[in-house]
Amino acid sequence: MRYGEGSDAVTALESIRLSVEAHEFISIVGPSGCGKSTLLYLVGGFLQPTTGEIRLRDRPVSGPGRDRGIVFQRYSLFPWLTVQDNIAYGLREMGVPRNERERIVADHVRLVHLEGCERRYPRELSGGMQQRVAIAQTLACNPEILLMDEPFGALDAQTRRILQDELRRIWRRGTQTVLFVTHDVEEAVALGTRIVVMASRPGRIKEVLTRGFDIDDGDEFEANPAFAALKLHVWRSVKEEVDASRT
Amino acid sequence: MTGARRGWQATGRNMLRILPVLIVLALWQFASATGVLPKSLMPSLFEVGRALAGLIASGEIVPHTLASLGRAGAGFFVAVVFGIAIGVLMARMHSVQLALEPILGLIYPVPKPALIPLFMVWLGIGNFSKIAVIALACLVPIVIATFNGARSVDPMLLWSARARGTSERRLLWRVVLPSALPQIAAGVRTAIAIAVIVLVSSEFISSEAGLGFLIFSYGGVGAEDAMLAVVLYLAVLGYALDRLYVAGLRKAMAWHAFAH
Amino acid sequence: MRSPTDGHASRMRRLFVRIVPVGTVLIAWELATRLNVVNPYVFPPVSEIVLRWVTLVAGGTMLGPLWDTLWRALLGLGMAIAIGVPLGLVMGRSRAAEWFLEPLFSFAFPLPKIALIPLYVSWFGLFSLSKVMLIFTDCLFPIVLFTYHGARGISPIYTWSAQARGTGPLRMFWRVVLPLSLASIYDGVQVAVVVAVLVAVVTEMVSGGSGLGYMMMRAYRYGDVRTAFATLLTISLIGYVLYRIAQALRERLLFWHVTEA
Repeated sequence: MRYGEGSDAVTALESIRLSVEAHEFISIVGPSGCGKSTLLYLVGGFLQPTTGEIRLRDRPVSGPGRDRGIVFQRYSLFPWLTVQDNIAYGLREMGVPRNERERIVADHVRLVHLEGCERRYPRELSGGMQQRVAIAQTLACNPEILLMDEPFGALDAQTRRILQDELRRIWRRGTQTVLFVTHDVEEAVALGTRIVVMASRPGRIKEVLTRGFDIDDGDEFEANPAFAALKLHVWRSVKEEVDASRT
Repeated sequence: MTGARRGWQATGRNMLRILPVLIVLALWQFASATGVLPKSLMPSLFEVGRALAGLIASGEIVPHTLASLGRAGAGFFVAVVFGIAIGVLMARMHSVQLALEPILGLIYPVPKPALIPLFMVWLGIGNFSKIAVIALACLVPIVIATFNGARSVDPMLLWSARARGTSERRLLWRVVLPSALPQIAAGVRTAIAIAVIVLVSSEFISSEAGLGFLIFSYGGVGAEDAMLAVVLYLAVLGYALDRLYVAGLRKAMAWHAFAH
Repeated sequence: MRSPTDGHASRMRRLFVRIVPVGTVLIAWELATRLNVVNPYVFPPVSEIVLRWVTLVAGGTMLGPLWDTLWRALLGLGMAIAIGVPLGLVMGRSRAAEWFLEPLFSFAFPLPKIALIPLYVSWFGLFSLSKVMLIFTDCLFPIVLFTYHGARGISPIYTWSAQARGTGPLRMFWRVVLPLSLASIYDGVQVAVVVAVLVAVVTEMVSGGSGLGYMMMRAYRYGDVRTAFATLLTISLIGYVLYRIAQALRERLLFWHVTEA
């Protein structure tokens, strides 16, 4: 994947080969500038690869679509719409009739534990609540794939932890495949069933690890030695890249 | 990529911007020639061009250009000098600000061209009244811009300069003005546009020389091609003035950065 | 810390501080004209101006011209918004439209559209239409420019998020680009309101017919300076009032707006 023209060109990503099964939770970690967000945007169809292609169920991806929902770190809510209108947005675009729409919205409000906030505007909500709405509004459109670009990066540690648990719960109960980009190694290991470590300059996949154990709701996984070992491995792997890019 | 090469690239890109204008001009001529745009409505581009060439060749346009530029220029410069002075004073002395701010607030909503007849009754039909209106019209944006710019000087800069023993006067020249310069420059640019507008309005309302006068009188006798020729000429002049200002500003800033 | 009783006192003080300079100027004016320091034929005493203004307004003489100027300004402004906003939005989102239209607007911007009065008169006649068309032309520029910049500055996150939820290109304009550009568009409208009044008055001064501008010129021609000043006062008031109305409406319309830090 290249940007720019002539001698200013930048290769953002190189030789990415990755296949993802349904209902996997893929965490993508790496140092800044390794192109992890770029990869996400390519899958989402917001960018077009200069070479190669993205395939969904054996058909190439040509542009954005409802089958791939995306949650960004900030600004994904429309500030002039209330919480419920934001969640309903995609449904209105799909032409879902009113009753159905209201039902789906109510379901998703409950899903992210925001009952009572339906009529609030984004600017009245805390960062954590805004991200909950962002997740709800994306899920309301029932995408097959959920793309998440460092969604909890702008939140404080506590809120982050709470939302991570919620996200895991939602993913468990649903059928979505999740591609989750983060720079937080612990988050990547706590959430992902498979962890993709990326290197930078040029962006490429360094290694892919499978988390051998499950994490359930309410688990104190920090105490699990398997978790600690995996986390250390990933952390070292990423650190290698960070150090390499600094020299 | 060398700096020179980048400079050429930028010029090339700027030249490209003129393309849509050329396209529109070509469409104009085409429409006139094929009769889509009837001559009774609007003369063809060629006719206007011919009229313009005639005006330039005969030199007729020169005294009028000078008259207009002279008036606008005089009013503009007066406004710049006094405007910056007043703006800085208002920013540095609270009492001055309190005294003048409400008065500025009164002048602001008055459309300056509406003051033209008043100024003419007051100061006579000649140039002086027009220069005065233009000066007043340009004064407001410059004062406001200077005031805002001088007010928002980083207090750290002032403290550190004072701590190094800079007198209040040098402080003004060395710290306040340079840091307010971007905003002042923006206000001055607005003032240029305002000067042209008020100038043309005043020449429409009453005058015996100047580009506005030419437009008005040619229009009055139905010499549309000559009238549009002067309008075009005025448009290019206005554009050139603005561009010259921006370019000159960049040069001055660059020199300023070097000198310090 | 301000105590509850401070509010009223400081507000009064602020009002006082604003009135004093203006009051001083007015009093000086009154005295100067009464004492013949300043020629009262050029600057009539303030009191007489105010008296004349009240007479004209109460007697209804001012209302006809006021309405003429006002509806022309508002109609021209309305047309400029109706055409300028879609144009600016398209310019902001379509590279082709931007490439073609931006230079046109940039080049035409420094030309005082007022110079086109004779042309418009020959096209549209001496009466209201030529004035409204010129107001429309003059207001178009700030509206298109502000809308264009607003539409251009939209974070792609908003459009991507909308695309991933099934928004087609046309609906994108209406549901996403327009609301996000609204703050910028409104800035343009506020500028355009002032321009509209200004151009309305100037066209009336130049091509006559009716309206406050014409009324003022006529007053000067008959040597009726008091009426002229009274008209000038009304002209200034309209501009001021319209701007304030626009400002107040802004709060209500854009209550959800948060400037992105």
